[in-house]
Amino acid sequence: MTTSDFDDLSVLLSNPEQSGGRAPSSLKARLYSALIRKQQESGPLASLDATVSAGHEICIFEKLVQIVPVGETAKSPFFCEICHSRVLAEHFDQAPIFWPGCPYVKFKEP
Amino acid sequence: MQAQHLPHVSQETEAIEDRRIVSGVLAKDRKATAEFVAQCADWIYPFVRRRLIPRAELIEDVMQEIMVAAWQALPNFRGDATLRNWVMGIARHKVEDYYRKKIRELELAVEDDSLPEHITTPAFEQQLDSVSQQKKVQRILTMLPEPYALALIWQYRDEKTVREMAQLTGKTEKAMERLLARARKTFRRRWNDDHV
Repeated sequence: MTTSDFDDLSVLLSNPEQSGGRAPSSLKARLYSALIRKQQESGPLASLDATVSAGHEICIFEKLVQIVPVGETAKSPFFCEICHSRVLAEHFDQAPIFWPGCPYVKFKEP
Repeated sequence: MQAQHLPHVSQETEAIEDRRIVSGVLAKDRKATAEFVAQCADWIYPFVRRRLIPRAELIEDVMQEIMVAAWQALPNFRGDATLRNWVMGIARHKVEDYYRKKIRELELAVEDDSLPEHITTPAFEQQLDSVSQQKKVQRILTMLPEPYALALIWQYRDEKTVREMAQLTGKTEKAMERLLARARKTFRRRWNDDHV
């Protein structure tokens, strides 16, 4: 192989199509859902009360669960599993979802 | 004078922010986990994409492996490096694992290598604009046997030396050179045959 051949291949292969620096929001959404499911395999998630205490915003649906007078365990499931926002966000980069406090909405933010 | 302290202050702020996110994720706080995913995904996506394109369908699987590995290793995060550098280290290892696995799987008979390498000098068309050329590169890489494509990407995009590649795959340098020679030859032949 000559030096010139090497240079040609080097130039061709070292310059892949340019991609944006940020991950697509739908990819983030799927990664998030997958990681949360993985976390659940080793026990329940932190309860919504703990999440609020840590200073995080929760969505309107989570808020409804949080104010219900039930035990901590009932406030630990991954409620997004049954939410349309998750489904939309996992399939579309510009999903029409706008709930404040929804992580899937935040993935769309620049 | 104040400006001299800024980098230090910024590093400290980053370290505090890293610790906040890490403790939240370890507590399985869903919102902290969302922040962790959003940040890590933006850090590792360009790195992984660059090393796996044109096999775009693999990007998500490898990224998911990286995220899960990072989460599982998070109790070991000491804050000696930034969270970003720490996660990027895991990403680097995972991508190398993928390359290593695929290249080790290579069966030597995968391609006809009866032609000596120098016979098939590529006719890299000067008239092709860079966009068309890149499309052609991606198309040819997609058509190559996966270990060949990965070996070329590893060497030319990741700038790995033959010695490094040999060490990482457990092959001899000679075997790695042979593999690269076959990969280059196949790439050239397909390049010259591709008239789309």
